[in-house]
Amino acid sequence: MISKFLLAVGLAVVMVATSVSSYVYLGSRQSKVAAPVQKPTAATPRAQAFVLPGTIYLAQAGALYSFSAGRFHQLTSEAGWMQPALYPDGSHLVVVRRFASYSDVYAMTPYGAVTAQLTDNAASARNAWDTGANDWSFYPRLSPDQRTLWMSYDGPKIVGANYFDVDLAVWALPLGASIRQGKAWTVANSYTGGDMQPVPVSGGIMYTKFSYDQNGNRVGQLWFTNRAGAAGRALTDTSAGCLEPSISPDGNTVAMICTYQKQVSYLTIASWSGASLGPLQTVVKDQLVAEPIWAPDGSGIAYLAPGGPAAPFQLWWLPRNAYAPPAPSPIPTPSPTPGGPHNGPLPTPTPSAAPVAPVVKPIQITANLGFDATSPLAWSG
Amino acid sequence: MPLGIKPGHRARKSRGRLSPFTTLTLVVLAIAMSAVAGGFAYFMPAALVAWNSTAQAVQVPSPSPAEILFSPSPSPSPVAQPGAFTVLLLGSDDDSKFSADHVLTQSMILMRVQPATKEVTMLSIPRDLYVHLSTGGYGKIDGAYSYGAAGAAIATVEQDFGVHVDDYIWVGLLGLVKVIDAIGGIDIVTNSPVMDDYYPADVYGSWPYDYQRVAVLAGPQHLDGIHAMQYVRSRHSDIQSDFGRSKRQQQVLQAIRLKAKQLAPSDLPALATAIGGELKTNFGLDKVAQLVPLAASFDNPDAIHQVLLLPPYVEPGAPGGSLTPNWGLISRLVHQTFP
Repeated sequence: MISKFLLAVGLAVVMVATSVSSYVYLGSRQSKVAAPVQKPTAATPRAQAFVLPGTIYLAQAGALYSFSAGRFHQLTSEAGWMQPALYPDGSHLVVVRRFASYSDVYAMTPYGAVTAQLTDNAASARNAWDTGANDWSFYPRLSPDQRTLWMSYDGPKIVGANYFDVDLAVWALPLGASIRQGKAWTVANSYTGGDMQPVPVSGGIMYTKFSYDQNGNRVGQLWFTNRAGAAGRALTDTSAGCLEPSISPDGNTVAMICTYQKQVSYLTIASWSGASLGPLQTVVKDQLVAEPIWAPDGSGIAYLAPGGPAAPFQLWWLPRNAYAPPAPSPIPTPSPTPGGPHNGPLPTPTPSAAPVAPVVKPIQITANLGFDATSPLAWSG
Repeated sequence: MPLGIKPGHRARKSRGRLSPFTTLTLVVLAIAMSAVAGGFAYFMPAALVAWNSTAQAVQVPSPSPAEILFSPSPSPSPVAQPGAFTVLLLGSDDDSKFSADHVLTQSMILMRVQPATKEVTMLSIPRDLYVHLSTGGYGKIDGAYSYGAAGAAIATVEQDFGVHVDDYIWVGLLGLVKVIDAIGGIDIVTNSPVMDDYYPADVYGSWPYDYQRVAVLAGPQHLDGIHAMQYVRSRHSDIQSDFGRSKRQQQVLQAIRLKAKQLAPSDLPALATAIGGELKTNFGLDKVAQLVPLAASFDNPDAIHQVLLLPPYVEPGAPGGSLTPNWGLISRLVHQTFP
């Protein structure tokens, strides 16, 4: 027998504990879809088990990070930094710093110290009333001789003209020179977003051009041009919807993404002759692939893709064997029986199955991070 | 009777105590009730928002004789499938340029849901379509809501397109931003980069008539609410203007649906708190409960059909830069799907 008083007190305690527990339990059953991403330097495990060669430069939330030997290092504060590209000699990076109304290109050491501002795209104080007086510079690259800066640029514009047609074109300017000494290499199609993602290749520039197909759909295509102001020529068909080209270290293969005018993004490679692309080969089809880049030693391709359905973008790695499997070792042919000539019919060789190459799948390098998938990666050897 | 104990004392003492069975029953009851109370407290915010946002009364004015005369001639309607229904999705600028419930609808999507075949058809209605408004007179269809809230918008669509609208969902601009942020962002493949030098800075700025520059770059990316709103709202940088924007809106709707499939029931309070008063619908709570699992079962992207009213269904040249509808063509197109 229990006294009523004790029971009442006990029940009160039990009820409070149960109601709080059920509230907390329900809270713990929330999905992780809206969980904030971690900073790469705080990611757990800190050093990923899989170590890639060299150093990769990436952007997340406006900060630049380097990733080497399985560890991330933060190079800049979270202040609009994105789209790093290496100087060909690896001594510096060219990077974009994006502000609310404009973006500029800077030179930076591999440790994050800014050494020069290479563009000046903010509207002057006199023209600040017109938002259109600002300019964007995106996707900077340097020529192999490190004397020319390539980028996508939406200027120059007439202040107060109220242009609704804002398109990027591929520009080249001497490194460190004013935009007045620059030259537009491409002529963007109107109201498309324009020409972007220039990649210097032997004899010219490969880039992504946006246009409208015959059905009125806006699509990306890889184009090539070898002269400022020349018409250039398409390397891929509009139906493939390809963009974000990346040239292999030997210069013979291009990695890209192709969207086929849908909400898909396949990792695709094609041989590059210096004038045209070979047939498109889809390498990864079941992910939303962005910004592929070749390992400097040719051992594979890194790219960004969501870590789960509709999730933020993580770093992935596709080993070379996945798209260029080693040739199978030749099937041994029967040799004459040692010991002298054989007069009778040769014995039928036992058919042996050709060795099947194991399926090589992409490897997820990071988790719980959220890289900027519109920021190309840079990779030094 | 032991010494020192008065007669009747034992009986009083036993009345102050309970039997083990009664005690056990009370404990079980208390645990069950308090567990339910904890759950109730957890889901209370969602329930309140749902209560305030759903089952909104809609007054659809009956068309006047003149409106009936104007309406397109009826085309053969599709065979009605069991359980199929038509929803009018309305998306509004609800910034400080407008007073509440007198906002324009920047986005109008007529959606036919067919649970039996798990098919969805989304017809984007151009906001500049020049139509006969249900409240009288002619004007752009985006003004219908501003003259008579959802009822007027529904009645305008019903009378002009010759369809029956079962339900509506209205979402404010901020609602879209908050929903997308509450579900942790969406993944989009941007084949239509948005470069807009005169994008309205009316949501978070101090002066609602101000402008800002936006650039949503090309390629696959994870968008938060603000950037998703820029992606679906900008039309200056698209040669197809409102049509191009409608395509992007349908992309984002599908991305939200894809992300929403990852949600758990326990996410509802946070989601409801985020949405606040930015969503209104005439759906009752019972129907919402039916729709949630139904939406999750639509997993074939090829069964989601997107329809845009491009030329020759509409042609430019109507007053005020609006679009002239070709009702003959539109009626035939619409009645392939919408009864």
